[in-house]
Amino acid sequence: MNGLERARRGVRHLPMIAWLWLLWILLWGSVDLEVLLGGLAVALALVAAFPLPPALPRAVPRPLRIGALLVHLLTDLVRSGATAAWQALRHGPRTSAAIVEVELRVDSDLLITAVAELTTMTPGTLVAEIDRRRRLLYVHTLPVHDERDIHHRKSEVQMVERRVARAIGHGESFEGFDGIDGPSSRRKGG
Amino acid sequence: MNALNTARDAVTAVLLPAGAAFCLLGALGLLRFPDTGSRLHAAAKAQTLGLLLVLVGTAVQMPLRHAPVLLLVALFQLLTAPVTSQIIGRAAYRAQALDHRLLLRDELAERLEREGTPAYGQEREADEEDEGR
Repeated sequence: MNGLERARRGVRHLPMIAWLWLLWILLWGSVDLEVLLGGLAVALALVAAFPLPPALPRAVPRPLRIGALLVHLLTDLVRSGATAAWQALRHGPRTSAAIVEVELRVDSDLLITAVAELTTMTPGTLVAEIDRRRRLLYVHTLPVHDERDIHHRKSEVQMVERRVARAIGHGESFEGFDGIDGPSSRRKGG
Repeated sequence: MNALNTARDAVTAVLLPAGAAFCLLGALGLLRFPDTGSRLHAAAKAQTLGLLLVLVGTAVQMPLRHAPVLLLVALFQLLTAPVTSQIIGRAAYRAQALDHRLLLRDELAERLEREGTPAYGQEREADEEDEGR
């Protein structure tokens, strides 16, 4: 029992070990025997010394959708860089912004982190405050001229969230997530 | 082989100036935007895009075994830039370094007021007192 438990815990750390090993090899830029063995030793030692809790239990990564997420990230990055640059050139000191509250449906540390990171990379939005417990993001948006812009930005953040949830979503908390209805319909009081 | 080199040079010739231009625009945004919040947009987005373009433009010129290291730089930039900008934005909000007149709407302040801990109320009262004297 004890041995089985330990083996299972070891398997959980495999991706992290593989990633650290790969990082080591890339940084050395060679595949000599010393580099390979040394990297493996360092990766194992690190994981043994600093074991991380499971980031996302019951995660179901979907490679195709993660790919789609990355493509979206790259196009968003270009668009958002261009938007910010254009705002700086065109409006500069007379720009107008807003801080909007966006309610999230995802409820795990990893997913909320991913949504916050990607939101910052989408055009015109920048996460300023995260309320983890109530699953709220406070997003600084720019430019904003009227209520329609605010609404538009909110739905953009929720689109990001939906994309993330589809890419690495898990289990029951995403039932009905593919639906078009906004998250307000599932609002929990307080 | 020659055609490949030309193509490579063309990619670099486009990406490097474009990346430099975005970095310049990011710096311009830092200068022209009025408060911390909007400056972060310039720093986090225009700058990141500029750096990525420069990195890709350089990577195509590098020998194959060094190029992945540049991609690692890009990856960690993408992972860390939003985190820093969020931390700075959060600190700026708490230190009241955001220009409130620029905000069309501030739902965080609305919530703080609802919960009885207004972010700006006290200072505003203090300002009014000063003006009254």
